[in-house]
Amino acid sequence: MSEEAKPAAAGKPRRGIGKSLLLTFPILLWSLLMFSRTLMQPGAARKIAALAALALMVTLFFLMVRTRQTFRWRRVFFVALGFLFPLGFIYELIALRGSMSIPVERMLAGDTPFCFLAIPMMILPAALTRTIIFPGSVLPTASNPHAVSLMVALWLGATLVLGKGWCAYGCFFGGLEEGFAAVARKARLRHISPRWRLVPWAVLVAIVLLSAAMFQPTYCAWLCPFKAVTEYPEVNSLETAVQTGIFLTLFLGLVVVLPVLTKKRTQCAFFCPFGAFQSLFNKINVFDIRIDRGRCGDCVSCQRSCPILALDKQSVEAGGTLLSCMRCGACVDVCHKDAAVWHIKGAPVNSAPEKARLMYLYAAWAFAVMFGGSIIANALEKVVGIFV
Amino acid sequence: MHLFAEAALLGLASGPGCLASCGPVLLPALAAQGKGLGGTAGLLSVFLSGRLAGYLSFSVLAWAAGLAAPADPRSRALLFGLVDLSLAAALVVYALAARRCPAAPAPSRLVSIEKRVRPWTPAALGLLTGLNICPPFVVAGARAAETRSLPAAAAFFLVFFVGTAIWSLPLVAVGGLRRLAGVAAVARITLLILAAWYAYLGIMALSWRFSHV
Amino acid sequence: MKRLTSVLGYTAAALTILAAVLLPFLLFNLFIWGVAATGVRIDPLYSGGDPLRTIEKGGYQVVVHQPVWRRSPLERTHSFVQLTWKPVSALPARVSDEIDLDGDGNPDLRAAFDVPSDPKAALRVDVTPLTGRVEPMTGVGKQSFSCLIARVNDSIVLRVPLRAR
Repeated sequence: MSEEAKPAAAGKPRRGIGKSLLLTFPILLWSLLMFSRTLMQPGAARKIAALAALALMVTLFFLMVRTRQTFRWRRVFFVALGFLFPLGFIYELIALRGSMSIPVERMLAGDTPFCFLAIPMMILPAALTRTIIFPGSVLPTASNPHAVSLMVALWLGATLVLGKGWCAYGCFFGGLEEGFAAVARKARLRHISPRWRLVPWAVLVAIVLLSAAMFQPTYCAWLCPFKAVTEYPEVNSLETAVQTGIFLTLFLGLVVVLPVLTKKRTQCAFFCPFGAFQSLFNKINVFDIRIDRGRCGDCVSCQRSCPILALDKQSVEAGGTLLSCMRCGACVDVCHKDAAVWHIKGAPVNSAPEKARLMYLYAAWAFAVMFGGSIIANALEKVVGIFV
Repeated sequence: MHLFAEAALLGLASGPGCLASCGPVLLPALAAQGKGLGGTAGLLSVFLSGRLAGYLSFSVLAWAAGLAAPADPRSRALLFGLVDLSLAAALVVYALAARRCPAAPAPSRLVSIEKRVRPWTPAALGLLTGLNICPPFVVAGARAAETRSLPAAAAFFLVFFVGTAIWSLPLVAVGGLRRLAGVAAVARITLLILAAWYAYLGIMALSWRFSHV
Repeated sequence: MKRLTSVLGYTAAALTILAAVLLPFLLFNLFIWGVAATGVRIDPLYSGGDPLRTIEKGGYQVVVHQPVWRRSPLERTHSFVQLTWKPVSALPARVSDEIDLDGDGNPDLRAAFDVPSDPKAALRVDVTPLTGRVEPMTGVGKQSFSCLIARVNDSIVLRVPLRAR
């Protein structure tokens, strides 16, 4: 499996259990704090789900610390998030309205939950006209807790902490592709032209310009593949039928079929405009991945392992990754020369890579527990509630 | 003088709307050639000259027929359906030919077509994005028609055009992005995406037209 | 110099961890307040525009909103004016109201629709222009975002396309 992050042949030595437990302790405390309110609420299903989510997050962090591997354990959380979020969301939609489609009445009432994917399209109109071109609400309400201000606040916080690491620790859609990418043992489509990486930027430019010109979130209306697993406007005209056809095709193609065939996150790498937008914030994030040219043997394992093709010959020769790196750790885990390393900007490359990795993981996992962990617990509650 | 002041003010007030209508095409079109500030300014002036040709055509219509645009919805659907499809085709030619596009290499026939039309393509894009009916345009058309003289109508639209064009001058700064790798390629792919959008609009308009015979 | 950049880098890294910890307790509320403080509001295309006038109709009210005009040639929706009848519980079984949109004393349209007792039943409206301000509507339900009638919570929302000005 050249496409997945297998542990390096030489193997990174495992950390002792005692030290691993000690390093995991802050995350255990944090998780208890984050889940405490849920644990104190009535309902056996809720308590069981919260405990299961807590155990999952703490265990995975322990394993990341003990094995000194990041990608494979992070992936367990991320795939769980990707599959459980739609489960919980669709359950709530069916329970609330009996359907995944958004009736126009809900849009008129400002009850459409705001999604982070819409953020890039909101910026120009908000800056020019101080209006949000989305049928939601600015402040949270009883009927719409997922208001614009809350989701923007969440995004701002995630960007501050993670940069483009949002795509590896926060995005509740990316885990779907990551799950499908792990299905096949070998990639059927091996050669992908790296020039396809430019498409997300083009989609970003197109939707930003068209949204500002049309006063409509064009990506949401026309291109979002994840409407297949969340909610979408009622199909009551030729146009809405075309829109539905497009998002179903994009979902099946980019999120299911191509990840299985290529073992890459094809929607993220070759389409998602939010990923391109989020890449810009890697510039201000203090963590990155570097390639120690003194140790690198040019085996290209790191390039082959990257799920979103964020490494190429030029970037490796320059000693780093491309702007699109999402800090998933795949390249570091697969490098058997310890040339690909975690790094803190300003510090010498390879001076204390494990310290850099742990510092990033504390920040990223704290966010992941708070955000993704709560989504996992919420979805698990629905599942457990069937039996309990 | 009063008429021209009115035209200038109307143009300045309409500028943001006009920029919104042509901006999605203009911005990537300026970036796609990978030219510097001077070259981008040249491209912008060719684009605007095409837009001016569109405005002046409408001024002739306004003076001749007393209308800024066909009033019958079916005629409008036919006209703008054809305009949108033409714009989609122009965007594809502009984006695909001359330089290799990541999504599809340029067939040699397309390259030879583009080489012949290249000087005119930005003007065609300007013309085709300029042919739309927006309220300020309708107002300008109605006022031009009231002048009862073709030179006055044309002059009115010329001044109106200058008022709107001022808003697009800052876009010359796009030439400064030339230093960033991949900008021209991204712009070309953006043009292809926009071509798909305008093709859809054109097909829907023509479908509506021919289903309402 | 190298030591200084290294110290700064590690300090920034530590602050990142601190930011992650402070997010749910402090930073979220700060960011939400910040977004709200910018004064942004939902675009009138979706919110229906600010309320302009309220017409008392004996038991219920009709709210006339600010007209929402097309701002760009690429906008897919027509200009419209939104009218809101509320509360639904006070409406008669058949509503037929003449509405003055601009407060000049002359009614601009007549809107007529049945109010079914089933809240999920489809609504249909006939709008007859009395001046040249609006387009007619005959048996319209939810035709488009700028031409519809719908029950929204405890009110009935009508969007009437405006004639180009």
